[in-house]
Order: sequence, then structure tokens, then C-alpha cells
Amino acid sequence: MKRVFKYFNTLTIILVTSSFAASQNPREISKKSADAIALGSMEMTTTLKIFDAKGNARSRTLNMASRKFGDVTKMMMKFTDPADVKGTSILIYDYEERADEMWIYMPALKKTRRVVSNERGKNFMGSEFTNADMSKPNIEDFDYKIISSENINGRACHVIEATPVSQESLQSNGFSKKVSYIDKENYLCYKIEYYDLKGKILKTQTIGDYRPVEGGSYFYYEMEMKNEQNGRKSVLKTEKFKPQSQMTEAQFSPSNLDK
Amino acid sequence: MDKRSFVLRNRKLIIVLTLLLAAVATVPLFSLKINPDLESYLPDNIESRINNNKVGEMFGTKEPIVVILSTEDVLAPQTLERIDNLTSSFLDMGILSPVQSLSTAKNIRSEDGMMLVDPVIESYPQDDDEIEELRESIRQNDLAYKLLVSEDFKNTMILLNSDLSVKDAELMNMIDSVINLYPGSEEVLINGQPYLRGEANEKISKDIMILLPLGLLLMLIFFWISFREFKGVILPFGVVLISIAISMSLIPLLGWELSIIGVLIPIMMIAIANNYGVHFIARYQELNATDPNTTMEEIVEEALSYLKRPVVICGLTTIVGILGLTVHILLPASQMGVVSAIGIAIALLLSLTFIPALLSFLKKGALHFHPDGESRSLIAKMLNSIGKLLARHPKRVLAGFAILFLATASGIAAMGVASDFNNILPAKHPFNKSIDIANSEFGGSKLMTAVFEGDIKDPGLLKRMEHYESELVKVNGIGSATSIAKIIRKMSTALNDPNEEGYNKIPDDRDAVAQYVELYSMNGDPADFEQFVDFDYTKAAMTIQFNAEGMRDLERVIASVDNIIGDDPALSFTGGYSLVEKEMSESIVRGQYYSLLFAFVAIFILLAIIFKSISAGLLGSLPLLFAVVCTFGFMGWSGIKLDIVTALLSSVSIGLGVDFTIHMFWRMKSEIASGREYRDAAVTALKTAGRGITINALSVMLGFSILFFSSFPIIKSFALLIILSLLFCLVSSLLLVPAICVTFKPGFLKNGKRYEKSV
Repeated sequence: MKRVFKYFNTLTIILVTSSFAASQNPREISKKSADAIALGSMEMTTTLKIFDAKGNARSRTLNMASRKFGDVTKMMMKFTDPADVKGTSILIYDYEERADEMWIYMPALKKTRRVVSNERGKNFMGSEFTNADMSKPNIEDFDYKIISSENINGRACHVIEATPVSQESLQSNGFSKKVSYIDKENYLCYKIEYYDLKGKILKTQTIGDYRPVEGGSYFYYEMEMKNEQNGRKSVLKTEKFKPQSQMTEAQFSPSNLDK
Repeated sequence: MDKRSFVLRNRKLIIVLTLLLAAVATVPLFSLKINPDLESYLPDNIESRINNNKVGEMFGTKEPIVVILSTEDVLAPQTLERIDNLTSSFLDMGILSPVQSLSTAKNIRSEDGMMLVDPVIESYPQDDDEIEELRESIRQNDLAYKLLVSEDFKNTMILLNSDLSVKDAELMNMIDSVINLYPGSEEVLINGQPYLRGEANEKISKDIMILLPLGLLLMLIFFWISFREFKGVILPFGVVLISIAISMSLIPLLGWELSIIGVLIPIMMIAIANNYGVHFIARYQELNATDPNTTMEEIVEEALSYLKRPVVICGLTTIVGILGLTVHILLPASQMGVVSAIGIAIALLLSLTFIPALLSFLKKGALHFHPDGESRSLIAKMLNSIGKLLARHPKRVLAGFAILFLATASGIAAMGVASDFNNILPAKHPFNKSIDIANSEFGGSKLMTAVFEGDIKDPGLLKRMEHYESELVKVNGIGSATSIAKIIRKMSTALNDPNEEGYNKIPDDRDAVAQYVELYSMNGDPADFEQFVDFDYTKAAMTIQFNAEGMRDLERVIASVDNIIGDDPALSFTGGYSLVEKEMSESIVRGQYYSLLFAFVAIFILLAIIFKSISAGLLGSLPLLFAVVCTFGFMGWSGIKLDIVTALLSSVSIGLGVDFTIHMFWRMKSEIASGREYRDAAVTALKTAGRGITINALSVMLGFSILFFSSFPIIKSFALLIILSLLFCLVSSLLLVPAICVTFKPGFLKNGKRYEKSV
């Protein structure tokens, strides 16, 4: 009798979860997951550690600020460590519809220079992260599918596969699919696996140390990207985070880079 | 008690044992493996290999493979599209990165106060104007022009780096299938060690498949022409087959693999292993003809007792000569020494046991010996005239030899040593065509890497490196020298405008260098500099691309490089595959000297013992010295270089050539013992023993001539040289040796018994 009850119980759980999952649209989940993170307007101090395949590390500390003005997100980064690059600053205007604009300031030369790059999908600061990993993903670029449920760090997660909708999006993103592990309750994403164009695993991203921030959303204080093919790894650790940058638009200007 | 000899008493056992041995010997043949990688035969602890591995580990440079596309104009849209397709397919393979080509190349420049980073090929040019515009922009890009595209824009390179995870043949198949996936009018040529090894591997097995049956067939024909009797064909042929099987099966049994040199082993067996059996059959036919009433057993007994001594002595000297190879530094050479010496020893043993044992069971054949017919033959006529010349003008003969010797020997000064292994494949092979293009249209096909250690961002070091780069390219043969210094200077042209102070130079300030690098790394792939500088900027590689023809040229380039960078306090070491090849070539030369010395000393001792006289040792070594020196001289005159295969020939030719002299000594001694004068003894020896020697020499030369059908040019050169070298041995033993004996009348020829007839 007990056994029958146990079976019944399991069945109920399965039925409940599957009907729950069915009611959840994978695109919806992914959008909620993206919205759960306070990206866009913020100020933070972060340390980027880049490891090569042998485990040698290179560390960079920088202050970052970003804020959206109309259709452009402006981002300012300033190195504070190591000493030889201290003061080096980068300003990026990230337009929704056209190519980014970028300026750099080199304290050793005391000059600001505009950089025009047609190179796409580039690595962030020479790390395993790409510039795309630093901003919200474009939900419309992908088709979504729930493939299973899994527990990550004791949390029940949806496992969602996203595949680029078009050849264009495939080329610009540089991967054939990504599999995200998204918390069923709070929609935080703990892990993303990226697959290369041949369908082989390329990189694994782990995201953790989520802390709630003002406005009901979260921010991750730790993020790691491991390249499964060449063994390199990069870790971003945020030391200070403040949502909603108060910097004015004038402060996000090339002439302000040397300040 | 059975008075018959040991062989006849145990003939059944001998036959059974031989057949058993033959059957057992075929088993290991199935596990014979080919290893065409010559580098793998070098000891691991030699300096150039250690350094080469260190460079690979520090800068992630693995094994480069170069794909060259040749066409009228590489900037034609369809060619650019093909380069794009090939590049992305190679990248997708995942085992060839980094991949560098026009598709991956970047154009970093300064324009209107901006730093511009673009792909070199942004879009395919639509018309002639756009093509010319693109051409001009590539000309301005010194990280692409003459490195990825030739000066005349007729050739372009795709550089791949094998991570060594896939076997050569498989890797080359994958690369081929990518190339075939995107067909085009451009000629595609490949070079790189994996390709060379893959091709060599295929050709080694192909060579053996073709040369072995061809050689055996030739031998069968030769035996048939010589003996016209089934027995005469099948017995020596059987001995050749068994000794080939045994020598080849020794290779896997001793834990070795078959190298390109291994191709020589079965052919050497064909050429040499039949000698002893042939003597036996010839003697049997002779005895059968002279006394038709004798039984087969009697004939066998007599032939055996008559031949035992000379055949064993000739066999031993050959074995000793070839054993000289065992002291060679390169493993394939010493392997060949061991394996062929044992093979020849087996052939010798079987010729004196198995052949007589089996022959004694067989019926006597028809008469095939025509002593009178021989005097009309070409050989007899030639020997007759040599005899006359010798009898009349022995001193002139000596003078003639001296002149010939000096004339040929003077070529030794011009004798070169191969500095690489490119000549393993034919000159017209796509591999060598691509090497030629790399040499003539790009900076060269050879690479050398200088590693600097210290604070690589230090402007002082970078400026020195930049200075070296400009000095190095002035050296004749050096096509390019590239290091992080050049890249930092290139960055300065993007980060400064042409009218600014910092434009096109290494900054004076260390922080500025650090900031250049930091900013560049934001725009590029993190792996972009990997091949030039290590992760924490404490080690930098300067890649020197050059072209050198032969060892002397290579040494000159290396000395110039050393002269320019050798004194820099930050220089750690130099490495690169070219230096490994150099060390390999040097060990080939050294190995050759060791083998030569060993063979000469051993043969001198052997001759001195056989004839109980030091002057016999000296005099007997003389024709060999003559042959070796003349062969080297010929190599100098003809431009054939000493390489991994040709370096083996002197040991082989000494081992074989000494037999000729021994036969001559023997016969002269016998003639002198029977009361003849030196002069008459020499002429008689020439007419009798001379015939056997000549036939023997011709049959060995014929055997080696099979090697002309090899697909490896270095083996064809070996064939030419060994035949020539044997010819020198033959001529000197037929002319020089008797001329010296007639002139100087050495004493050791006087004290001896009468030696019946020549073999």
C-alpha cells in the first residue's frame, strides 16, 4: 500500500512539474532571466583575472560605469591596477542599430584616440569573455526550447537550449547553441554552456554570488568563463556594485577620459 | 663411421631446420611498422631538440603546415572566396589553430586621428579599381605583405599549426578533403613535416611493394641466364628469400620500425645474399661437366670443401664492412647495419649448409658448363686487354690511377652535406614545389627562433630587438625577422598620427608599451601574440625566416644570426626545426666517419690476419680508399649531397669491394707459389679470378640498380653512387692491385700454398 502511494506521489510530482513547465514558455523564462539582472545602468569596481592553460594568471582591476541615454548605452572603463596601465581608459558607445564607437585614453601618451573596429564578437579585454557577455542578450536572436530540469547548487533549474534564429545571428554570436541553467523560482542563471559551430562544447560560463540590488533585481559578483577547448579561463570578481549610475552624459564623453 | 662431411651427415636436419626457420621468420613480418619520422630517431637529449621543444612549449608553436595557393592574381574575388572558405574550414577542424591567412589578417592603421582595425579583406573587390585599391592597402601592411602574400601577388599562404593530436596520414587526408571541398583554379601546394612524413610513409611501403618483386624477378632472370637449370635458379633464390625474410623480421623483433633507409635492406639482400649460393651452383655445374660420372653427393662434398674458405672469408669481410654502420649515431643506420649483417650471415650459412644439403638429394642436371665458350665473351676480351696493358706498362697504370685519383678527389672540396630532408621527395613533388615558392616568393622555408628573456615591455630590449630585425634581414638568405618589437612598432602607427613623435617607433616609456599592448589586446584575439611573447611578458620569440641551400649555407646564416644577436644579454637560446635538421645532418656526417673508420680498421685487421701480413692489410685497403675517395669526389663534382642515405654507401661498398681484392691476392699468391713471376701471376689472376670478380661485381650492381625504380630521389642517388663505388672497387682491384704487386712485389704473396682455381 505504501509503495502504491509512493508511486502515486511521484506521478503527481511528474505531472505537476511537466504541466508547470508546459505552462512556462522557454522564451519567457529566458527573458525573465535576462531581466532579473541589473545590467544597463550601474557603477562597479571589478577585478578581471585571466588564466592561461598552464594556470598563469594576469590580473586587471578597473572601475566601470554604464548608463543608457536614448538608444545608446555608454560605458566607461578605467584601469586602476597594475601600475603600468593605471589610468588607461576606454569609452564605448553601444548603439542598438549601428556599429559601436570606442575611444581610448593612454596616460603614457596623454592622449585620447578613437578606435574604429569592424572586428566582431571580440574578446573582452583579451579575456575569454566576449563583449556580448558584458551586456544583456538580445532575446529575439534565438529560438528556445526546454530540454530538461536539473539541480544546480541545490536549486531546481530549467535547462533551456537557445539556438540562433538566423545565419546572421549565428555568425555574429559565434556559437551554434547555448544551454542555460535557470533557477525555476527566481530566474537567476547559474551556468551557460556554449557550443561551437560544429556542435562541440566551446565554453562553460558559471555565474554566482548573486546579491539583490535596489529595485528588486540581482547582480552577480562572480563570473567565470572557461574555454573547454584551449584550457584558458577568465574570472570576473566584482568588489563594489551600485545600480543606477548617477554620472551625467557629459561625463561619458571622450574629453572626460583623462579625468 | 660416416666419413661424409657434417653437412651431408645432417642434411635432413638442415633442410628441416631451414624450412622451419623460414616459416617462423615470416610471422614477425606482419607486425612490421613504418616510421618515416627521421627526427624521432635522434636521441631525445640532443640540444637542438630540447630547444625546439622549449620554443614549442613557451609559444604554443606546434608543427607548422603551409598551404600555398598559386594563381595569376590572388586578389581575384573567387580566389579570395576560396581562401575564406578554406580558412574557416581549417579553423573549424579545431586541431590546426592558430590559422593565419589573408582572411584572418588584420589591417591596423591610423587615419584622421583614429585607430582603425579592419580585416584586410573586408569585402571581395568588384572591379579592377577595387582590386588595385586592395593591393595597395596590402602593400602597406607589413604584417601581411610578403608574409601571407608574395610580392607579385601570385601566391598566398594559409599557415596552419598541427596540435599533433592526429596521425600524419589522417591529418593530411582531412586537409585534402577540405581543399577538395572548395575546388578552384588555383594550384594548391602543401609543405610541412606532417605532409613530408605522410608522403614518405606512403612511399616507403609502395617502394618495398614495387622494388622487392622487381628485384626478385631480376634475380630469377639473372640466375636463369647464368645457369639454365631449375636447381641453379631455385636454390640461390630460396636463400635470398629466406635471408630477406629473416633480416626484415628482425626489425620488429628487435623493437624497431622501418625508416626510409629500410627500403635498402631487402634490395641489399637481393644484391648480396645470392653471391655465396651462386658460387656453389657454379662449382657444381663445373664439376658436373668435368667429370660426368661423379655422383651428386661427391660433387657436393668437393664443392663444399673447395668453397668453404674463400666464401666464408668474403662473407666475413662483407659483414664486417656493413657492421661499420652499427657505430653510426643515427639509429636507422645502425639498425640497417645490424639487420643486414645478420641477413648476410644467414645467407652465408645457408649457402654452405642448406644449398649443399638440398642439392645432394637432387638429381644431376644436364651439362651447362662451357669452359671454352667463355674466352670469346666480352668480359674475357676486356680482361685480356687489361692483362696486356698491365704486363707492358704497370707504372703507366699506376700513374693513370694517380691522375684519376687526384682529378676525382679534388671534387671532395665541393662535396656538400644536405641541410634538410626535403630531397627525400622528388624535386617536382608538390612538397618541393611549395618549398621552392616559399624560398623564392616568401621569406624562405626555414625557421629559426631566438628566445629573449627579461622584461619584454622594457623599451631598451624592444629597441635592441628591433635593431636586430633590421640587421638580420640584411643577411643574404634571411627573408624576414619578426618579433613583438615589430608588432609594437606597428601599433604605434595605429595609435599615433604620422606627424606625431611616437609614430612608427617603439615608445621610450615602459608604461606606454604596456598600454599599447593592453589596448591592442582589447581589439584582437588573446592568442594573437601568443607565438611572439609568453603570457607574463618575460619571454619573447624572434622568428627568423630564411632560405639555405646545403650545410655550408646554413652554417653561414646561423653564424650571421649569432654575430648579430649572440651578444645580447637577454638572449636565452635559439631553437627551431632548421637547427634540429642541422644537428641531424651533422650526426650523419659524423656517423659516416665513424662507420668508415670502423670498416677500414676492421678490414685492415682481417686482411692482415688472413694473409698474415701488415702490408696485405695496407695494400688491400688501398682500392677501398681509392673507391671511397673517388666516390666522394664524384659527389662533389656532380652535386649529390651527403645525406641520410648516401652516407651509408661507403660502408656497404667497402664490405663488398674488399672481396674483389681478396680474390686477386689469393689467385696471385697461388700463381706465385706455383713458380710464376709477379707479372705473369698478375696477368693469370686477372684472366681467371678477374672473370669471377667481374661477374660477381656486375650481379651486385645489377641488384642495386633496382633502386633506380625507387620513388625517393635520395635512394636513386644511392643506387648511382653504390654502383659507381663498386665500379671503382672493381677497376682498382683489377688494375691498381696487380699494378702495385707487379711494381712493388710485396712479400706476403710469396709465402703460400698453391691455390687451385679461382672462385
